[in-house]
Formats: sequence, C-alpha cells, structure tokens
Amino acid sequence: MIQMNRLMLRYPTGKTALSGMTMNIEKGRFAYLTGESGAGKSSLLRCLYGGVRPSSGQLTVQGVDVRTASDGQIRKLRRDIGIIFQDHRLLFSRTVFENVALPLRVQGWKPDRLVARAEKVLEFVGLKDRLWSFPEALSGGEQQRVAIARAMSTKPPLILADEPTGNLDVDTARNVMDYLMELNHQGSTVIMATHDLHLLDTHPGDIFRLHAGALAEELHLVSGNRRRLSGGANDVPEI
Amino acid sequence: MFRKSETTALERRMPRLPGGFSLPPFGLHQWLALIIVCIALWAIGLLWLGLQAGSSWTQGWRQDIRFHVYLEKAESERLQALAGKLKEVPGVGAVRMVPQSETRAWLENWLGGAGEITDDLLASLPGSIEVTPGVKSGDFLYADLADAARSFGASVNRGEAHLVQAQSMLAKAEKMLWFGTLVIALAMIIVISNTLRMTLLARADEVQLMRLLGAGEMFVRMPFLLEGGLLGAGAGGLAWLLLWPPLFAVGDWLTQLDAEVSGFALLLPLLFGGAFVGWLGSLLATTRLASENTTTA
Repeated sequence: MIQMNRLMLRYPTGKTALSGMTMNIEKGRFAYLTGESGAGKSSLLRCLYGGVRPSSGQLTVQGVDVRTASDGQIRKLRRDIGIIFQDHRLLFSRTVFENVALPLRVQGWKPDRLVARAEKVLEFVGLKDRLWSFPEALSGGEQQRVAIARAMSTKPPLILADEPTGNLDVDTARNVMDYLMELNHQGSTVIMATHDLHLLDTHPGDIFRLHAGALAEELHLVSGNRRRLSGGANDVPEI
Repeated sequence: MFRKSETTALERRMPRLPGGFSLPPFGLHQWLALIIVCIALWAIGLLWLGLQAGSSWTQGWRQDIRFHVYLEKAESERLQALAGKLKEVPGVGAVRMVPQSETRAWLENWLGGAGEITDDLLASLPGSIEVTPGVKSGDFLYADLADAARSFGASVNRGEAHLVQAQSMLAKAEKMLWFGTLVIALAMIIVISNTLRMTLLARADEVQLMRLLGAGEMFVRMPFLLEGGLLGAGAGGLAWLLLWPPLFAVGDWLTQLDAEVSGFALLLPLLFGGAFVGWLGSLLATTRLASENTTTA
C-alpha cells in the first residue's frame, strides 16, 4: 500500500521536516503515527496525499510515485484517499449533505444517487437526521463525525487522519476511534497521526513513532500483541 | 454505534436547489457588483435606445430630403447650364427646375392668404433648382453642390444640408457608441472579476478542500464561472427592466417625432451581453486558480 525509502522533505523555508524516513505500511493495517510536535507526522501525511512533494528519496502510495507523479496522477490518487483533519475542514456555508456529497461530486457520481449515499454514511455516524443542517449547528464531536462520513463516502481504500481526536473529549474521541476501527475492519487502510496515547490501549494498531523527522520506533500488532520490529533507541522518549 | 443527535431549534435554513444543493452565498460584494454592472448596462441600453430613436427619426424624413439651389437674376440659359452642372455632381439622383407656378403656390401656402403674390414679386425671386440625392449620396454631396453652384454665382440652402449632416453624425455616433460599449464592457469585466476574486478569497477553504479531494480544474472553476455568468445576466435583466420607465416618460415625445423605439429589442443583447461579460470576468478571476495543486518542497 505505502512504501517509502530514505524519504526527505525540506520546505522552501529551509526547515527539514522528514529526514531519511524508511517504512512500509501494508494494505488493511491500522497504523498510528506518533511522536512529539514537529516530529514530522503531519508532513508525512501531507506527502502521502500529495499535498507536498518529497525533496528526495522514494514514496509510493498505491502504486503512485508521489515525487514524480503528474498533477493528474496526484488528483487520481487523492480520489482514492479519505482525509480527516483535526479541524474538520467542513464548509460552514454548506449543509451536512453538501459536505458529505462533495467527494462524490468530485468523482462524478450522478446527482440522484448522492442523497441516498450521504444518508447511508451519515446513518453510520448517527447523524442521518442532520442531513440538511449546517455544520455550525453541530457540536465539535458531531462535526468530526461529519468529517469522517465525508472521508468514507467514496469507500476509499486508504484513510488518512491527522489528529482527528485532538479537539474532542475522551468519550467522543473513543467513539470516533471506534468508527475508524470499523472502517479498518471493513477493509480500509487507516493511517492516523495522534498525540493521544491513551487511545492506543483501547484501539490497538501498528505504531510508527517519529522523532525529529525520522522513524524512531516501529511496533507491529501481531495477534493482539505488539511486536517491536525496529528502533527503540534509548535517546527517544518512551510512548 | 453513535447516539442520535438532537436537532437544535434555531437552525439556519436555506432554500434548496434540486438535488439537495443550496444556493451559493450572495453577499454584499455580489450585490454591489450586480448594482454597478446593472447601472453600466442600463446606461449603455439608454444610449442605444437614443441612437435607435435618432436613426428612426432621420429615416422618416430621409426620402423627403431635397436640396434647393438659388440663382439670383436667373436667365433661363444660365439656369439650364447650372442644372446640367449639378446633374454631373456625384451622388445626385435627379435635378428639377422649379416652375414659377409652384413657387407661387408654396408662397401662398406659406403666407396663409395674408398677402397677394404679384408677378413682379415672383420675377424678383431667384431661380430655383431642386436636387434630389441619389441612393448612394456621400458625405461630400453638399460641398460638391455648393462648389458647382458657386461657379455660377448661385447658393445652396444651408438648412437642408444640416438634415443630411445629422444622419452622418448619427452614423459617427453609432461608431463611438460601439467603442464606448466595448470600454464599459471591459470595465464591467474588471468589476465582476474583482468581485469574484473576493468571493474566491472568502471561499478559499472550499477551493482547497476540492483540491484535496482530487477535483480537476474545471470542477473547481465551474461554480465561479456560473456565478459570474448569472451575475452578469441578472444585471442585464435588471437593466432591461429599468429601461422601461424612461421609455414611458418620453413615449409621447417619440410619437410626435414619429420615431419608433423598441425596448424589447434590447432584452436579449442585455441578457446575453451581461452573461458574457460576467463569464469573462469570472474567467479572469479564476485564472490564478489554475496553479499547481501540490507544493514542491
């Protein structure tokens, strides 16, 4: 699903966000990207959906070489990825339906199928009755659930979540995690950047700990238990 | 998995289009652009209506235009020679010697029976030649006639020349109006373009989100192109409606002048012209949208 080899990302400002990162994420996994602020979690996610091109190294997402891909290939790649942001990025001048239907419209779904599909995904997140509401009328947790519904509306094989529980209380965060787990069980690969380490106990998955733009530790979930595959340097803070 | 939410009582409701979509936000900037473009289109419409009235008015008496050439102390032979010379002038359709009986009748009619037209009076009047312009009479007909007349010591009725010059001026006014229309159209394109740029700034998050979802250039641009076109067409329709009050106000005057003016003739030009400049404005505004959707680090 995702292969990266000595991936480097340097912004025009000169800041190095990723330095020589090498990792593979297999299809169907639930992967956490953890690490301190500035470790490179969000930059890595941006690389994964082509929001920024790597400076050097190799990054392949679903068979697309992100570094050399054309704009058209990046657009096509993004249509196969559901993205969830910490700040939801909902359109507040649009209804919940329009927010959820936006990815479907981008993919050229016929208008008569949109309402049915939006209702179905909103039913999953318990917001079917808010189809015609505006996001401003929803609570933070509900807005995040709409963002999840939007990300899953096209049944993407890959879901990227950047701190989706960052602004939520514990119970709502657990609910959001339940739902991401459910999407993973349905076949989507989920990659989630998070600071919230408590969630890792109740919602297990592979852990990729980043530090200063590099992979510090990699723990893979095998039969309910995590197995350390690499890293574990003593100079890196424990999670 | 999740509990059902409770609907808040005070929720914003917007009219929905078929398919469940709501109308895009129509704020102060859009209203201002609509009003500015409407006023500009209204002014253009009024000018074209004025030109239409002027053309109709001059066309009404075009077939009646005659030049009269007067020769003092006219002898028959000199008058004949002058008529022959006038006939050779380019653009002249016909030349006719005005008989004294016709002059008498015209004078009697003009005086309204107030005085007697004596033979002495008639004899003292200059000899009169009537020149009818041809179909292809040019702008220099009057000058050529005046030159020909001058060589015989005759003169041309200057007042009649003004009527022909009025038509010539209307033709020039039409050319200037076309130029003015183009300049105003350019200004309207810039106004709509700036309005949509502000809209784009306000909806930058929407554009950014569309790009993140993998939307193509046309998908991102289309709402703005439609909005520009609709804004222009709306302004055009409104301007057309606003043309009617002044039309009604001068209706009697136009009837007296026998000038025919049709407000309906301007409906489609204003509607489609407005839509076209709106569309061009939005195209200009979204040019910068065609930037790269990824950043090279």
